[in-house]
Amino acid sequence: MIKEDLLKLSNDSKKELEGVYDIKQLNELKIKIFGKTGLLTTFSKAMRDVPVDEKPVIGAIINEIRKELEDKISEKEKYFKEKELNDKLEKEKVDITEPSKNNELGAIHPIASVTDKLIDICVSLGFSVVEGPEVETDYYNFEAMNIPKNHPSRDMQDTFFITENTLLRSQTSAVQAREMEKRKPPFKIICPGKTYRNESDSTHSPIFHQLEGLVVDEKISMADLKTMLTIIMKRLYGDETIIRFRPSFFPFTEPSIEVDVSCPNCHGKGCSICKGIGMLELLGAGIVNPKVLEISGIDSKKYSGFAFGFGLDRTAMILNSINNIKYLYKNDIRFLKQMQ
Amino acid sequence: MKVTYNWLKELTGITASPEEVAQKLTSAGMEVEEIIYQNKHLHDVVVGKIIKIEKHPQADRLLVCQVDIGKEIVQIITSATNIFEGALVPVSLPGADLVNGVKIQKSKMRGVESVGMFCSGEELGIDENYIEGAGVYGILILPKSAKVGRLVEEELLLNDVIFDIGITPNRADCMSVIGIAREICALYGTQLKKINLNYDIDVYAKDSVRDYVNVEVKTKNCYRYMAAAITDIKIEKSPLWLRARLNAVGIKPINTLVDITNYVLIELGQPLHAFDQSFINGKQIIVRQANKSESIEVLNHNTYNLDENIMVIADSEKPMVIAGVIGGTNSCINNNTKVCILESAVFDLKSIRITSRRLGVRTDSSARYEKGVNVANSEIGIARALHLVSKLKCGKVVRGIIDIASVKNESKKVVGSIEKINEILGVEIPTEDMIRILNSLGIETKIQGKQLICIVPPFREDIENNNDLAEEIIRLYGYDIYEKINYKLFKNAANTEGTYHPRLYLERKFRYSLVEKGFYENISYSLVDSNMSAKLLLNDERKNLVRIANPISEDLSCLRSSLAHSLLTNVSYNLSVGNKDLKLFECGKIFYKNKDMNKELPIEQDMMGIVVYGENFDFFNLKGVVENLLIKTSCVYRLERSKEKFLHPGISADIFINDIKIGSFGKIHPLVLQNYNISGDVYYAELNTAILASLPEKKYIVNSISKYPIVERDLAVVVNEDVKVGDMIDSIKSACGKLFYEVKLFDIYRNSTIGENKKSLAFNIKLSDLTKTLTEEDIGLVIKKVLKSLNYKFGAVLR
Repeated sequence: MIKEDLLKLSNDSKKELEGVYDIKQLNELKIKIFGKTGLLTTFSKAMRDVPVDEKPVIGAIINEIRKELEDKISEKEKYFKEKELNDKLEKEKVDITEPSKNNELGAIHPIASVTDKLIDICVSLGFSVVEGPEVETDYYNFEAMNIPKNHPSRDMQDTFFITENTLLRSQTSAVQAREMEKRKPPFKIICPGKTYRNESDSTHSPIFHQLEGLVVDEKISMADLKTMLTIIMKRLYGDETIIRFRPSFFPFTEPSIEVDVSCPNCHGKGCSICKGIGMLELLGAGIVNPKVLEISGIDSKKYSGFAFGFGLDRTAMILNSINNIKYLYKNDIRFLKQMQ
Repeated sequence: MKVTYNWLKELTGITASPEEVAQKLTSAGMEVEEIIYQNKHLHDVVVGKIIKIEKHPQADRLLVCQVDIGKEIVQIITSATNIFEGALVPVSLPGADLVNGVKIQKSKMRGVESVGMFCSGEELGIDENYIEGAGVYGILILPKSAKVGRLVEEELLLNDVIFDIGITPNRADCMSVIGIAREICALYGTQLKKINLNYDIDVYAKDSVRDYVNVEVKTKNCYRYMAAAITDIKIEKSPLWLRARLNAVGIKPINTLVDITNYVLIELGQPLHAFDQSFINGKQIIVRQANKSESIEVLNHNTYNLDENIMVIADSEKPMVIAGVIGGTNSCINNNTKVCILESAVFDLKSIRITSRRLGVRTDSSARYEKGVNVANSEIGIARALHLVSKLKCGKVVRGIIDIASVKNESKKVVGSIEKINEILGVEIPTEDMIRILNSLGIETKIQGKQLICIVPPFREDIENNNDLAEEIIRLYGYDIYEKINYKLFKNAANTEGTYHPRLYLERKFRYSLVEKGFYENISYSLVDSNMSAKLLLNDERKNLVRIANPISEDLSCLRSSLAHSLLTNVSYNLSVGNKDLKLFECGKIFYKNKDMNKELPIEQDMMGIVVYGENFDFFNLKGVVENLLIKTSCVYRLERSKEKFLHPGISADIFINDIKIGSFGKIHPLVLQNYNISGDVYYAELNTAILASLPEKKYIVNSISKYPIVERDLAVVVNEDVKVGDMIDSIKSACGKLFYEVKLFDIYRNSTIGENKKSLAFNIKLSDLTKTLTEEDIGLVIKKVLKSLNYKFGAVLR
């Protein structure tokens, strides 16, 4: 008799469990079955009245039913919890196209950015970064660079003077002599910084930035210059970059060259940036004039060197496709924002 | 420097095209900046002969002309009035594209067909100086010798190609056609044509040059002075070929004698001057420095006051020429000149340069003298001019040339080392190529063992050593040799260690940190208007701006003494174009006058300036920006109320390390904002990055952290308004002793219920112990101590 009752309980409970649709009902059913006065609990209590020989069998059945129902209930419980969480997550869904927050980001000025880049490149190649004053003496800016007073080569640079003997440096080369006086070869230095020329038009700003490089050691040659500049230009403009030399004149180098660099935009094919030529005239360079070494107290019989210099403003313009030189010093946020 | 292709061709015997020659010159360092084709606008313009003129049937003012253009007769309608039957005129035919932009097409004028147009001199791009009739209003009537049907460009010698070449300052010798021709000969391996220097002298004449002039040189700035006399001068127009050459290089033809001097200047780079002998007082030429009482009217019609720095060519009573620069009107060649004294001189380049700059007068002559004319050149120049005088029969050359020289210029010997030259170039150039190249440049070179023995001609003063020889060799050998070879970096040189610049390195840390917080980096002109000090209300040493002696304009006449000026200007500009919420910074130098008079250079300081304009930003936000930068350094600093006049006196601070001020920050003074046309609040900070970078690098010493949890308590106390929060925080710290972990002010509250001039401050205090979990009892004790201390020191009462 008790067996049938138990079987019925089991079947009824299972049926009832299937109809349960939320966690609350499930809990009620749990109590109905397993609670203090629950159906199964009642059976367990009734075990006292079961004949001794049937006890093991009935006990086993009760345990079996209990196990079965408990499993079913916990399964259901798990299902409801998952569903509840999923519903919650679904409700929390956001529109991912809404604008972001707290994303204030400024930008580095393009000239400063290219300067940083070149400093990193050159330091990795063994150069030390040095600086000199922007208000310079005539001696360091000109005379020590083999540009005597009243010499025609002074005409190459329109200079701002402060007094007869002091001026705004017209070239970062002014730092060369200062460093050569201080240092003993071998050394490699670069000097980035502001330079000034008394000219202002659509392609010239009276203030601009240069980076000067100087290497002094034994047996430095034009071939070393070519190799070094190739490496620097490749790292700056990309691996496809090639460079070419053309003769030129600077009082502080002999031989002097202009260095053309393949256009980073078209790689030599010709485009609007290089005006169809494929190459850009970007650097002045050469073997340090032995006179310049001697002026600064370096033995030109033992040592030689090369020097190179180029405009950072122009480099920044080429690297970032900036087509108007006036943008560089206006500091308009609409311009700077594009450098983020 | 302008030269013509035909002129170069004549001297060099080359056959290459103008474009190729230009390309070769450029690759050898003589940069051809522009190629100008003289005949660009002269195609389809021919010589025509007007054979019949009739009135236009429909229009009174028009004429219908039948014109023989050689291969046919064409009909042309014109309104010109200076034509006649039989006249030879330039005819532009359909297809012509004249210099003034007129394009010629077959057309009908009032029903009558017109096949072309007659041209004026202006329409051909020439003037009266070039050919008679070119300046008249009307059609250019060509000389009777003109050949019907011939291209006008050929008839008028307007078919040359002009090169505009940038000559570098070291190549004074190339300020002449012969100099560039020499380069071309070296490039093409041709032989330079000998310049004809022969001239006729009447051997039976009794007179000699000294009968016309005597020369005395009284200044060391004149290296050589040569003078010749020419009598029986005929003042006429030069032959067309001479006018054509001068016209092509941009010199106005005047008369044969003057044209000859200009021709020699361009051809040989030797400036010449021609005097009318009748104006030379006492037949005496004196080369001397001028004196202060003198002045001279010169050919540009200005009168200049002279002094002892200016060299003049004078006669016994007056200066006649500013030596090497420009001639005076008192002795120049004119239509009545009968006897001419021709000067060919060499002057000190510095002296000429100084004079030319001082007076602001630059001429073809001064341009050459200031780059250096070699002493040997003057005798070639004068002989060449006399040759042309003979050839063109514009006068008789008198026997003898006066020649006073104080400086000799001879060929010099330069010994070069083959090994050293190859070492400089880093490539092996065959020795025979070295010798060939140097010889082709006029440097006679022989090999002697491992050395090159070079005889350098006077016109190549720039060649002195191995480096100079290396340059000559490689520029003609061709730099493209470097394109073919891949080298190892520094095969002979030592490794060096690369190092960053300490200040630039620190600035970089600051810059990138600010960018992450929304700041934009600025780079502004360091040249500013002199009113900067006034605008910023500067009253300390920084008000003494460094001034440029030769500024571009007043607004760029001084060096900035504060980055605040640059950044406020940038704020103002950005606001004016509609940009809002500005957070900007700049790293740069500031300059002001050095009080120490013994120091040549002004003070230069490296600064970083930061500026903020926008809502939701106050002094304490700014303080946070500054603190977050300073914490990256090892500096221990204190704040004091700022003394900067451009900052709000109550909302600003100066930053000190020991007694050295390293910066300031605060709200910009409202009066300053007015000066920059800014409305709204602006916050500004500046730091001396050089001082900060000079501090030892920041070292980190990590304290043990407790394995027990932190406990925290909030505490609100009421104090008088004038109590400083900073002092209270210090007090809380010390009261907590070794249990102190952190304290934060999280609220300031003012209300009448608290009381007048009172404020309620709420602190969050965090405590921690390394050895145990703190008990309520421990915490209570500490808080009690804190309260007691705050009460004792600041009269704080628990709220």
